[in-house]
Amino acid sequence: MRRRIRRRYAAERRFRLLGLGAILLSAAFLAFLLVTMVSNGLGGFRQTEIRVDIDFAANTLSAASAGGEIEAAVAAAAEAQYGPGGARALSDTAWLRVERAIEDDPSILARKKALWLPAASAIDGAAKGDGDGEAEALVTRLEQDDAIRTGFNTDFLTGADATDPAAVGIWGAFKGSLLTMLVTLAIAFPVGVLSAVYLEEYAPRNRWTDMIEVSINNLAAVPSIIFGLLGLAVFLNTFHLPRSAPLVGGLTLALMTMPVIVIAGRNAIKSVPPSIRDAALGIGASKVQVVFHHVLPLALPGILTGTIIGMARALGETAPLLMIGMRAFIATPPDGITSPASVLPVQIFLWSDEVSRGFVEKTSAAIIVLLAFLLAMNGLAIFLRNKFERRW
Amino acid sequence: MNSMTDTVAATPLRNDAAAKMTAREVSVFYGAKKAVDSVSIDISQDNVTAFIGPSGCGKSTFLRTLNRMNDTIANARVEGQIVLDGEDIYAPAMDVVQLRARVGMVFQKPNPFPKSIYENVAYGPRIHGLADGRAQMDEIVERSLKRAGLWEEVKDRLQDSGTALSGGQQQRLCIARAIAVDPEVILMDEPCSALDPIATARIEELIHELRGRYAIVIVTHNMQQAARVSQRTAFFHLGSLVEYGETSEIFTNPRVERTKDYITGRYG
Ligand SMILES: Nc1ncnc2c1ncn2[C@@H]1O[C@H](COP(=O)(O)OP(=O)(O)O)[C@@H](O)[C@H]1O
Ligand SMILES: [Mg+2]
Repeated sequence: MRRRIRRRYAAERRFRLLGLGAILLSAAFLAFLLVTMVSNGLGGFRQTEIRVDIDFAANTLSAASAGGEIEAAVAAAAEAQYGPGGARALSDTAWLRVERAIEDDPSILARKKALWLPAASAIDGAAKGDGDGEAEALVTRLEQDDAIRTGFNTDFLTGADATDPAAVGIWGAFKGSLLTMLVTLAIAFPVGVLSAVYLEEYAPRNRWTDMIEVSINNLAAVPSIIFGLLGLAVFLNTFHLPRSAPLVGGLTLALMTMPVIVIAGRNAIKSVPPSIRDAALGIGASKVQVVFHHVLPLALPGILTGTIIGMARALGETAPLLMIGMRAFIATPPDGITSPASVLPVQIFLWSDEVSRGFVEKTSAAIIVLLAFLLAMNGLAIFLRNKFERRW
Repeated sequence: MNSMTDTVAATPLRNDAAAKMTAREVSVFYGAKKAVDSVSIDISQDNVTAFIGPSGCGKSTFLRTLNRMNDTIANARVEGQIVLDGEDIYAPAMDVVQLRARVGMVFQKPNPFPKSIYENVAYGPRIHGLADGRAQMDEIVERSLKRAGLWEEVKDRLQDSGTALSGGQQQRLCIARAIAVDPEVILMDEPCSALDPIATARIEELIHELRGRYAIVIVTHNMQQAARVSQRTAFFHLGSLVEYGETSEIFTNPRVERTKDYITGRYG
């Protein structure tokens, strides 16, 4: 007797330890992921800038100057100030900043003006402690002149893809992801919920509905790249929708998300107690009234949870979007759901494939943005669920 | 065998002058299984009718044919004829939604909506368009809660959840909800089986008060309850109606052996 009790206690303790171990292991993985990403990626949100004194009065620039002229003038000023190689210390797109400065305040064309311009990625890396000897020597020299600084990289949050890692931004891909998700939600949510309602509340139980049920369950397990091929064949080749557009990406991901919503929706609807349906039917509510006044409101928290899970999966999806051409180099943020766009995971994939060292931290920074997006979405899910779960 | 018969007794109240509903040879099948076998009965307007009988004998099933709640069960099939005020309720022209507003139902387990007390009562009148404006709705809610004997207890917390009430209060709320759409018949399926004795007494009292205004049918497995609340009693056994008559007659002087056995507690 006593021994049996002791054995039971030991078993319980063992089980608790095992559970605790599992939790700790997953927490450790999560912490490792976060620490790596953050330590690699934080640099991506900072940008090194070099001060260049440009004597606008001495050169021939005017408000109407073409880009090439400005570029040449900026290069000349940098060489004059920092010797040969000075021009190469600046990012390829540094002249854009000068152009903007002229637009903002044309009066500078008559004076000499010190402007902070983005550094080339080699200098940027050296300033952050990861560069070659030549670049580091230049950085030391610039530091003595107080001509170099590292600040928050607003361009990264407002720009789009570029060939120069110092000039890339995440906003283009972020907006693309946002538009794609909106399309996915707009299609998958209503269709998924209506299918779930029909299958649970209206469909007769027979061979056909059994078959539909099996198909939907299988659909939810189909590898995502297959959906990409389907999207390619149907939306691009048959319907000739625009390539690389959030519309097509959203439709493709909607195909993938729908079964998840249908399954979650059916389970949520099934868990509404039948006594509620009886109560409503018993006082003369029609079937539609029962569904919309009672069943759906009670099932909503479950449906929303399922939807967010499906959407989160869609947000991180890369393979199907590669199939429908969303891997193109897109240097401007999309204007709408039909203009070419990139999305966050594809952008991460593209940057991680680049040889230039400057892209490493940009890749990690983009991952941080994607994770933040995911966290925001999950936060929204929890908020909505708690809001609707207030069952009186 | 004594002098009593063992056949389905002639139902002496069949042609009750004040019959609100009449059922003729009603059978109900679940798939191939016959749960109710050719039941004919008249439901009186002015009296409370009790259905008694051992568990599984088809009382609930038959009760649910009276407002076509069996339509919601996929494999249930009803044969025979049921008439409400001269209208065949299984006729194709019959609107089931309207029928259920006229023949209300109170279930075994209290099942208020997970909404406010006010909303629980107001829901039926709202979907049937019975109230013009807020003031009239307030009036309907108050009247229904008063008739259900719940008003005094909840008048200061109408916005509280209906599911936060006690079991007995919940069941009276369900009765108020049924009353709110102004039905002609109220069907109650063992409305007290989940309640304590005090709450049960409260509901029985309420049934007395409602009698006359509504035709009431109550299923109960509790014979004392049937004796207390009803004027007519129908005894069901194995899907058939064995005996139907004045409650006092059935309990003091049953004419069928099986009824007597059941009432004296020989089985159940
Ligand atoms: N939904 C159903 N499907 C199949 N059989 C049922 C269903 N509901 C009840 N039955 C069967 O019908 C018979 C009568 O049930 P019921 O009317 O609930 O009896 P009672 O209310 O008198 O206890 C029982 O044998 C029961 O098993
Ligand atoms: Mg029953």
